[in-house]
Amino acid sequence: MASQTTRWVLRYRPGQRVVHWLHAAAFFVLLITGLALIWPPLSFVAAGGLSRLLHRAAAIVFLLTPVLYALIDFKGLKDLVRDSFTYTRQDFEWLKGFPAYFLGRTSHLPPQGRINAGQKIHHALTIISYVTISGSGLVLWLGKGSLGPAGLVAATIVHDLSMAVMAVLTIGHIYFTFVYDALPAMTTGYVTEEYARMEHPLWLASLPPEPPYVIEVKEAIPEAAEEPLALTGDKAAG
Amino acid sequence: MAQLAMLIDTSRCLGCQACVIACKAGRELLPGERWIEIREVVWGRFPELRGAFVPHRCLHCTDAACVAVCPTRALYKQDGFTLVDFERCSGCGYCVEVCPFGVPRIVDGRVSKCASCIDLVRSGREPWCVQTCPAGALQCGPREEILAEARARVAALRDRYPDAQIYGETQMGGLGAILILTAPPEVLGLPAQPKAPPLALWKGGVQPLSLGALALSLLTSGIAFFIARRRHLEERQTGAGNNGSVSQPREAQRG
Repeated sequence: MASQTTRWVLRYRPGQRVVHWLHAAAFFVLLITGLALIWPPLSFVAAGGLSRLLHRAAAIVFLLTPVLYALIDFKGLKDLVRDSFTYTRQDFEWLKGFPAYFLGRTSHLPPQGRINAGQKIHHALTIISYVTISGSGLVLWLGKGSLGPAGLVAATIVHDLSMAVMAVLTIGHIYFTFVYDALPAMTTGYVTEEYARMEHPLWLASLPPEPPYVIEVKEAIPEAAEEPLALTGDKAAG
Repeated sequence: MAQLAMLIDTSRCLGCQACVIACKAGRELLPGERWIEIREVVWGRFPELRGAFVPHRCLHCTDAACVAVCPTRALYKQDGFTLVDFERCSGCGYCVEVCPFGVPRIVDGRVSKCASCIDLVRSGREPWCVQTCPAGALQCGPREEILAEARARVAALRDRYPDAQIYGETQMGGLGAILILTAPPEVLGLPAQPKAPPLALWKGGVQPLSLGALALSLLTSGIAFFIARRRHLEERQTGAGNNGSVSQPREAQRG
């Protein structure tokens, strides 16, 4: 039977994946219920106050995910914050090559570590807007009824701008995930060694080449199903 | 229908609360909810004390801040009044923050303020508060007629109240409630020149900009995806990985 061996590299630990998806789910609930107050076609979601309740329930999850991250994988949180705000000369080189990276090319880029310069900026902006959106959101929530026009306008401007930054970042995040087949990193936790070599060679080199960091998976190749069995011999003969 | 308005004559108000109760019963308001509140204002020094009853209720601004800020269009203008579609209200409370008169409240998760008795007026009747007022302090009718009546009443009051004046003719683009005051508005707890909140930067700038940024990035990434995906698969096939390093060729082992 035909089979091939693919080498997979551990990218995200189970705790990191759980925190990621919790945070993502809360974010999308917050985004949709929040947009209901900005984009009139969505305002039916807000009618009756259901979206207000959902927005607050999701806000609690959203606010607590970093705490949860610290509790179950403190090293992961520490690495995230440190790496997001540490920039090297190579990162600037990488950023110069960003336009081509945006359009699907990696060969021209200097080799990157665990996260590339684009991801660093993405993470840094995400962390900053997490702080501003949470702060302004708490002001709007806890100060409700006593903000006055100036307070309301100031808090909602910060809240709306943070939302715009986060939403644009998220669109980019999803875009790069699907251009470069990075989804398995957050579902199974593993990426192909090929992906790691193209995107994060320095990180790959820093990993011990043994389980659980690098595993080999033998898969059947479903090529036999593509052509009828009876014809195989004829084709081979022809 | 023509622009309607309420006449609220504080010189005649007895503070009897009849309108408060008639409104509450007629509009079937919730426990704890009231659309009219009577505030007793006292000023001067004993024994020269003066007083007035000032109804605290929606004044139906023409340029209504609550309508401008309402994200779900639950608040809207019609026939000079600020009406409420309670089904659309999300209970966000923005109107509470921006009203220059501090009128709207949130009760049971929804806005609570005078939504007018426009249904009664249309069927030829008068609002509950007007119907019940025993002192003739309230009227409802076409704004021009109400203004004319207010001017006549003020002229008649001048002897007794030298400060008698009309309030609401120009404030906030003209109010849908014309008040007759016996003293300057500041004395009675009303802002002489109520200010519209600075909503332009937020509602007219930041929000459209944010939505635009979202739409633009969706569009850009949607188009770029097909180009980027093709080029990435191409690069993967030629094996030109990062930094020119050659990725391992995919091996199909015959087992």
